[in-house]
Amino acid sequence: MDKKQREFKVLLVDDEDVFREATARQLTVRGFIVLTAASGEEAVAQVQNDPPEVVVLDQQMPGMHGSETFIEIKKIDPLIEVIMLTGNTSVDNAIELMQMGTFDYLMKPINIDELLYKIEDAYTRKKLNEKQQREAGL
Amino acid sequence: MRVWDTSHLLDDIPANKRAAVEHVYDPADSQANLNRIRLHFNQLQTRLILGLVLGFLLPNALLSAYFHFQFTHTLKESAKLNLAAVAESQKNTIDLYLQERVVNLYNLFHSKEFSLTPTQEQMENSLGSLKHFNDGFVDVGFFDTKGIQIGYAGPFPSLLGRDYSKEAWYQTLLKENKSYLISDIYMGFRNIPHFTIATKQVFDGRTYVMRATLDPDKLYIFLRAISQGKEVESTLVNHQGQYQVVDPGRSQLPGSSDYVPPGTVASGVEEISRDDQAMLIAYSWLKETPWALLAMQPVAVAQAGMIKARLVLTISLIVISLLISAMIFFTIKKLVRRARRMAEKGQQLQEMLAHASKLASIGELAAGVAHEINNPLAIIMATSGVIRDMLNPEFELDHSPEAICKELSLIDTAATRAKGITRKLQDMGKSRIPCAVECDVNSLIEEVVGRLKKVEFKPKHLEVISNLGSELPHILAEPEPLRQVFANILINAGDAITDKGTITITTESKEGMIWVTIADTGKGIPPENLQRIFNPFFTTKGGGKGTGLGLSIAASIVKYLGGTIKVNSIPGTGSSFTVLLPISEQAKQTIKQHDN
Repeated sequence: MDKKQREFKVLLVDDEDVFREATARQLTVRGFIVLTAASGEEAVAQVQNDPPEVVVLDQQMPGMHGSETFIEIKKIDPLIEVIMLTGNTSVDNAIELMQMGTFDYLMKPINIDELLYKIEDAYTRKKLNEKQQREAGL
Repeated sequence: MRVWDTSHLLDDIPANKRAAVEHVYDPADSQANLNRIRLHFNQLQTRLILGLVLGFLLPNALLSAYFHFQFTHTLKESAKLNLAAVAESQKNTIDLYLQERVVNLYNLFHSKEFSLTPTQEQMENSLGSLKHFNDGFVDVGFFDTKGIQIGYAGPFPSLLGRDYSKEAWYQTLLKENKSYLISDIYMGFRNIPHFTIATKQVFDGRTYVMRATLDPDKLYIFLRAISQGKEVESTLVNHQGQYQVVDPGRSQLPGSSDYVPPGTVASGVEEISRDDQAMLIAYSWLKETPWALLAMQPVAVAQAGMIKARLVLTISLIVISLLISAMIFFTIKKLVRRARRMAEKGQQLQEMLAHASKLASIGELAAGVAHEINNPLAIIMATSGVIRDMLNPEFELDHSPEAICKELSLIDTAATRAKGITRKLQDMGKSRIPCAVECDVNSLIEEVVGRLKKVEFKPKHLEVISNLGSELPHILAEPEPLRQVFANILINAGDAITDKGTITITTESKEGMIWVTIADTGKGIPPENLQRIFNPFFTTKGGGKGTGLGLSIAASIVKYLGGTIKVNSIPGTGSSFTVLLPISEQAKQTIKQHDN
């Protein structure tokens, strides 16, 4: 547990309201700027309006599915890192998610500290990628 | 509603589709199946071997019996004919022999030496002449008209001057028209077995007789000399059965034969038993004298060739039959064993396939359950994390009892949700509390279609055609689950149609059931999925659109109502789901009354 200020934006997308709000509160008290979305469509709109550094995305949602949402987010900003939350325990599903290009995945129910570390790692990589891109651009 | 019952579901899958999922792998069942296969093939092997062996052996045995009978009969007749030919040939030879002797004697009347008052020298010359032709002649005598032997040459000179007028042969010769006579064997004045050849000649109205005796030993030797064949014994008998030949050196009259040939038939063959031995006897009556030639041969000897041939044939037949039977036996055994192994392998493969399929179904079920349970668990963990944060002074959050209670109530709600899922799992297979009422299927379908058109069907260009039967009998059911059945099938039909298509709903009453057919013009179901569509959590809808519970719930409900669901699908053309629901008893009574 730490209370340091991370001061980067994390978008949490899940159709389960209670889970979304509880997780958001846990991340908030840990110094993240937490944005939330209840559906894929909302998440895409959020990314367009106020792009986060990292997205925590539920895989199985009504309407726009997690995988579809991931593709749309990457279309908007390929550097945004996405951590997928899944209820599916199969190896095939995990491989599929990694092949898609997600940063990592977590199986529900999640441990908040584990999520925290993964978000930080994802953020670090994003920053690294941005730096590399900038250098390449120069 | 999440109710599934895999055992019920399997019942609802069409029989031809459910074989793979219906079998649960069980080593005991597997062994029982293998035992059944073995028993079946053992019975098949026994039937095949019996059938083929009997099919071959029975006709073979019948044919063999027939040919054996014909063969035996023919060879027996052949043996008889052979012996008859021997007898006939020997008879002809004896006849010829006797004729020659008669002619030898008769010629003496016309020889240069002949005189009505012959001298001893003339008689000796006559005897020498006879012996010149045949050494069987013993002596020769000449008789005057009174039957007195007035001339004699031979080993019994005392016979000269004897009166033979009372002798049987002399009287017979004079009485009969024949000019000669051959007597039976007799002792006569010389008291030695012999027989007489006598001829008569009339000179100047007076009858004179010339007689010679023949040595029976010579006739015996002659008879032996002309005997043919192995162990063919020949002899001569007269009408009374008395032998007309004697063994050389015997000075007694021979006895009688126990077999007397019939005098009325010129020749023949008979089978008799002598000294416990079957004998063939061929007889043939001589022309020159009333004697019959008997040719005798043991049946065993006469038919020895036949018996040997028959034995060789029988042994060959048995050996060939045994060889063919053994060949049939081993060939069938080999073939059946091969077929049985293939069947056993097939059975094992089928069981493995069923087992694998069952495991796949269980995997799907487990994944579905895990997913459903994981969501409330995630809420519980997240909320409990929030409470921990509230209690952590570092975060300086509101940790009043009210605030904590509020979070705890969220945990309660999530736990209740998880409990609901597990309870429904536990309720699986248990009887439901019946809340059934008389339902009009058409009304339920119209309600469901109306609702779906507003939401699920709205984004697509779907045409829903309803061919609902008029005056459809009611069924006894809970309306809501039944609505769910139709809704689930209709939603699937809508999902199967990508953009534009038709869903046709038909209802009718027949065979005591209500038939509800929902047909779509969608993409159809691949054959490999057809047997899995009723499995819980099986779905082909990508993007998290389907839970895979719709059809399994529908099947469970229909099964509960005593009905079934049939599926027909052609990939690329569309699918047709037919729900059969039993008409309620009350409706049946109404129909009966209406019919009456």
